[in-house]
Amino acid sequence: MKDSSNLASAFRRNIQTYAIIIALIAIWVFFAFLTDGNYLKPQNFSNIFRQMTVTGLMAIGMVIVIVTGNIDLSVGKLAGFVSIVVAYFQAEIWTDVLPDQAILAATLSVFIGLSVGVLWGILQGWIISFLSVPSFIVTLGSMFILNGAILLVTQGKTIPANQPGLSYIAQGYLSPIMGWILAALVVAYLYIHMYRSRASKKKHGFELSSMAQDVGLTTFFALLVVGYVYIVNQYNGVQVPVLILAVASVVLSYMSTNTRFGRYAYAIGGNREAARLSGINIRSNIFLVFVLMGFLCGVAGVVLASYVGYGTIAAGQGYELDVIAAAILGGTSTLGGVGTIWGALIGALIMSSLSNGLQLMNVAPSWQYLLKGVVLVLAVYADVTFKKRS
Amino acid sequence: MNDDIILDIQNVTKRFPGVTALKNVSIQVKRGEIHGLCGENGAGKSTLMKILSGVYPYGTYEGTVIYNGEELKLEGSSIHQAAELGIATVYQELTLVPLMTVGENVYLGKEPIHRKSIDWNFVYANTKEILSRYRLDVDPRATVKDLGVGKMQMVEIAKALSEDAKVLILDEPTSALTEAEIDKLMEILEILKSHEVTCIYITHKLAEFFRTTDTVTVLRDGETVVTKPTNELTEELLVSYMVGREMTERFPTGDRKPGEVIFEVQGLRATDPNNSSREVLKGVSFDLRKGEILGIAGLMGAGRTELVTTIFGEYGKITDGSIVLEGEELKIKNSRDAIEYGISLVPEDRKGQGLVLIQSILNNVSLPNLNQFAHFGRLDKDAELRASMQQASDLAIKAPNLQVLVSALSGGNQQKVVIAKWLMSDPKILIMDDPTRGVDVGAKYEIYKLMNKLAEQGVSIIMISSELEEVLGMSDRVMVMHEGRSNGTLTIADATQEKIMALATGIG
Repeated sequence: MKDSSNLASAFRRNIQTYAIIIALIAIWVFFAFLTDGNYLKPQNFSNIFRQMTVTGLMAIGMVIVIVTGNIDLSVGKLAGFVSIVVAYFQAEIWTDVLPDQAILAATLSVFIGLSVGVLWGILQGWIISFLSVPSFIVTLGSMFILNGAILLVTQGKTIPANQPGLSYIAQGYLSPIMGWILAALVVAYLYIHMYRSRASKKKHGFELSSMAQDVGLTTFFALLVVGYVYIVNQYNGVQVPVLILAVASVVLSYMSTNTRFGRYAYAIGGNREAARLSGINIRSNIFLVFVLMGFLCGVAGVVLASYVGYGTIAAGQGYELDVIAAAILGGTSTLGGVGTIWGALIGALIMSSLSNGLQLMNVAPSWQYLLKGVVLVLAVYADVTFKKRS
Repeated sequence: MNDDIILDIQNVTKRFPGVTALKNVSIQVKRGEIHGLCGENGAGKSTLMKILSGVYPYGTYEGTVIYNGEELKLEGSSIHQAAELGIATVYQELTLVPLMTVGENVYLGKEPIHRKSIDWNFVYANTKEILSRYRLDVDPRATVKDLGVGKMQMVEIAKALSEDAKVLILDEPTSALTEAEIDKLMEILEILKSHEVTCIYITHKLAEFFRTTDTVTVLRDGETVVTKPTNELTEELLVSYMVGREMTERFPTGDRKPGEVIFEVQGLRATDPNNSSREVLKGVSFDLRKGEILGIAGLMGAGRTELVTTIFGEYGKITDGSIVLEGEELKIKNSRDAIEYGISLVPEDRKGQGLVLIQSILNNVSLPNLNQFAHFGRLDKDAELRASMQQASDLAIKAPNLQVLVSALSGGNQQKVVIAKWLMSDPKILIMDDPTRGVDVGAKYEIYKLMNKLAEQGVSIIMISSELEEVLGMSDRVMVMHEGRSNGTLTIADATQEKIMALATGIG
């Protein structure tokens, strides 16, 4: 009796999370139906996840930016700029300096790409936090500047970036055996984590949720992991870029709840004045948030270069819209103070599921944009209505 | 004779959850007079004015209000209804839009429409007419932000006065004005009187009653104490009416033995951070002993909150004076420095400054103390939880668990969360700005007990309070502020409500 009421209240609290998962499943079923099941076949399933990685990498950073009450409009262009810088070094520099050193060249490219992202983040963060220029303005200006920079570097031409070392980043797959080993490790960790968390609760004399409930929940997540690996192994195996996104998400999620940096970010967004009077250094915290965002744009840019295999003037065009939409779909409040990394991931997955499905059905890009816009507004409207009721 | 009464308030009672703000208040206001309304903070003056202006509409209070021979039945749907009937209110805080012109402000929300478009000629012509009728020297096309505070006040009055205003309520109109501007306001009141406009005048500055009013009513704890012609009153008499009540057993007795002086403020002067020409602290000196509770009394606008937030490094720009803790002169640039030195502040505005309402009790309590739990950037959540639970049980915070959002707690429990968050940092000095505001009686008592316990443990407490009883009930000494200055410190044995009021109003 008590358990069922607990479940009911937990359900009410997380209705937003469930609503978006239900939306995701609805989208999958819808497209699967329209494409005679092709949509959910291993190859396409694997592609949907691969397609979400660039957006996803930036969306998890955008959550933190929006949580602090800021916005970053420059993410798409920054990732685009990083991708053409990486392509430029791959095609123009390393071929002369480091011929036949694919791995070393790729490593250096990655390092340069990440550095460009971080440096841009430092610059933006410094102007926003220490010179007190609103982030909306700074990042809007930054968008124009990066657009110009992209044209300068490419000279309007397309730069190839399809060398094997670099290509592995976004186009590589783990062997099925590696995939299963990874899945086993994750599942083992899930159960160990459950055990530890129960032990800790017990130590503090907290009411424990029933063993069956905890085991059930952990098993559910374990099955998700196993099921995912099973499906993608039927195509090429676990996708390297998805692995990168997963690792980044775990790190960011940990940062957001288990470090001062993360906790301060939520406090600043929740009540800036209370945070200030609690002795939090608001400026340096927001500065760091933008440096982190820059770093993630760097990662996204490297993956982007590897994914498309060349750098073009259109690189990253319009990605900021997908990124912000993913964060908002995932339950991030535009008022600040609220938002989760996992929510943003599901938001990014919804965006890529929509794009992929529409492409599969040969829907014209004009209608793709139109539908994405409608979905975003509908999702937020549903969220607002749910909140009013509860 | 009865024709002379324009406003007859009969046995009005107004209840809020847990508090009765007005109890059987009856006041008769004569046509054409300036009627002063006097009382401590929380005596019920503002509540009464909100009934007259329709903020609390007809039916939400008991009793009747007869206005101009008819019962006043305001619906509360529009704040313009009272104004249309001829009752205009000028609120304490300015309600003008700084970037709009005087005319736009005067007609804000009641713009005249001519052929589906706003008739700006009408707006400016009529604004000019109203301004000149009451001899208010303001240009209707001037932008409000370019005007001084005194002229803004005039615009505020012009905005409140519709064509046929019969009653004008002024709620502390002089709190932000200079002497010259006050003189000008007094002239305007005389002009209004000559136009047969009745004024209800609320102020904390007792001297003003004797400059302008014909009659004064004193409110205390939501009840009318007396209504008398001004010429039968003196300031001393007013003070005794304002505070004349018995102390009750509302305060726990403590067993404190304050030690040596550990904290000293000398000749502190500071300016408004947004306006360096406005001096908010004009010489404040006091000292604080170990394990002592020092009360800071004073009227609204005396600079008490400005004083403590300046000490905490988050408000005024210090221009002179020193702050010394345990023999070391402190240079506090921001709250981080203050916390580092062992000074904590429970701020005045609990929801706006003290808490992150959308977060849990746990997150709020540990927010300023996360450094204690961080090891190489990682938070030791077990330790954080342990320490927070300890605080929550010490302070008897009533909640099922620490994951409850603070927005779901009662005022008293919210305040305990704010106190808990500051106690975890083990402060030497705990500053509490109006710690029991909006807290019910039971929770107040618990907060008082907690303060006693802390003082006994050697924490020095500075408590700002607007309630004289609280100041007298809790403090070891009382420092009284008046217009940005420390106007004297009384030991508790010496302190009486009359003495504090005298110092606070500047007559002592």
